[in-house]
Amino acid sequence: MRRTATGLRAWLVQRVTAVYMLLFIVFLLFHFLLAPPDSYEAWHGWMRNSRIAIPASVFFAALLLHAWVGLRDVLMDYVHPLAWRISALALLAFSLTAIAAWVVRILLMGTA
Amino acid sequence: MRLSIFRFNPEKDEKPYMQDYEIAPEQTDRMLLDVLVRLKGRDDSLTFRRSCREGICGSDGMNINGRNGLACITPVKGLKEPVVLRPLPSFPVIRDLVVDMTRFFKQYHSIKPYLINNDPPPERERLQSPEDRAKLDGLYECILCACCTSQCPSSWWNPDKFVGPAGLLQAYRFIIDSRDQATQERLDDLNDAYRLFRCRTIMNCTEVCPRHLSPSRAIEKIRLMMVKDSS
Amino acid sequence: MPVGALTSITHRVTGIVLAFCVPFSVYLLDLSLRGPQSFAQVVGLFDHWAFRVAVVVSVWALAHHLLAGVRHLLSDIDVGSQLHAARRSAWIVNLCGVAVALLAAGALL
Ligand code: HEM
Ligand code: SF4
Ligand code: SF4
Ligand code: FES
Repeated sequence: MRRTATGLRAWLVQRVTAVYMLLFIVFLLFHFLLAPPDSYEAWHGWMRNSRIAIPASVFFAALLLHAWVGLRDVLMDYVHPLAWRISALALLAFSLTAIAAWVVRILLMGTA
Repeated sequence: MRLSIFRFNPEKDEKPYMQDYEIAPEQTDRMLLDVLVRLKGRDDSLTFRRSCREGICGSDGMNINGRNGLACITPVKGLKEPVVLRPLPSFPVIRDLVVDMTRFFKQYHSIKPYLINNDPPPERERLQSPEDRAKLDGLYECILCACCTSQCPSSWWNPDKFVGPAGLLQAYRFIIDSRDQATQERLDDLNDAYRLFRCRTIMNCTEVCPRHLSPSRAIEKIRLMMVKDSS
Repeated sequence: MPVGALTSITHRVTGIVLAFCVPFSVYLLDLSLRGPQSFAQVVGLFDHWAFRVAVVVSVWALAHHLLAGVRHLLSDIDVGSQLHAARRSAWIVNLCGVAVALLAAGALL
């Protein structure tokens, strides 16, 4: 592919993230239906286990990328004046980055 | 039979209005176009395009009871009354049911709807195996009536940047033609955020195509070719 | 509106709804991991009917978006992308989304 355009690549990002999220959500569903955490200790221990914390972090990364492509698509369809569109995209990028930082703090930097 | 037809003559009317017509059905009325032609005999200010009257020229695309179609192949029988006729949605109206197709054809031309082959032309013609020829079925039949593009939300939102279903169906028609040598350029040309990738697979195009073609599937196939090409 | 168009616009609306849910969910995740007390606070939210209604709406949004998403992914690889099959799968997605929401409503309300 010659051009490093945002066409195919964005589309692929949305598919790949969708598949990962799908698998992770199905996993969560089964986990919570079969073994719901019934106390703070159980929940905390589970989330702090790196076997969960890492896939969960990947999930949030996928989620935020997915939301970026998806909301970018929505804005491209409905917001046409350039200044408005750029402001909206900037606000969106800022919000998603802030959420990403927040998630990193919760999941990866949380004290045991 | 009762009809309610969109009327607008920019030389006389300040704004469009709907005009009601009542016309006694006749034996010869098989298709909606038959009724329209008789109505025009009564009120010759009523304006619409038509030519082949058999679903081949693509002139009489219009919005019939909320759905785009060709008047000439829409049977009168089964139409809910009053039959509400409007010009193709989202296209600029020239007069009554006649719309301006300039932008539509501009998008069509932008995909270079002709064979690109730099080999010197052979004595008679560029040959193609029956299998390769079969790949063009379901694509070459498009009559550029614009029913699809006019009913595509992505085309409403970005009519200047998104090629639209009709143009993309033709893009695929040339991309998979074994005699065409510009496949790579054609794929690259469509790979930006707008020209193809505004399509959200809503499938309105395939729903309304009077020739039962499937632009949404052609778009999907182009995307898959892009994926293969990039890996 | 053709049924596929309904599935599609609802996929968009639910995508936007889910995006608005994200900061709230992250906040609740944060709270739930801070200590036994704030964990109890999160659990206690389920005592409020308004929260339960919000959860049911979010579950519907997620279910519809996810099912319509799977329909998209299949259609992308040329599974069920012919009009007839696409119409049927659109009905299935719309109805299953609502069914999941009703299950959630039954469990929570
Ligand atoms: C829970 C968090 C999620 C959020 C916030 C979210 C958000 C969005 C948004 C805003 C869009 C754009 C909609 C549009 O352009 O009309 C979108 C598209 C999409 N979503 Fe999600 N989504 C989420 C989860 C999922 C999941 C779990 C799947 C898995 C199947 C999925 C599959 C898709 C697909 C395939 C598209 C692309 C549709 C298209 O190209 O038209 N999404 N998402
Ligand atoms: S694809 Fe169908 S609806 Fe679209 S222009 Fe061609 S014939 Fe008309
Ligand atoms: S499938 Fe794509 S091209 Fe066809 S109506 Fe929908 S958005 Fe338009
Ligand atoms: S008059 Fe030619 S397509 Fe209808």
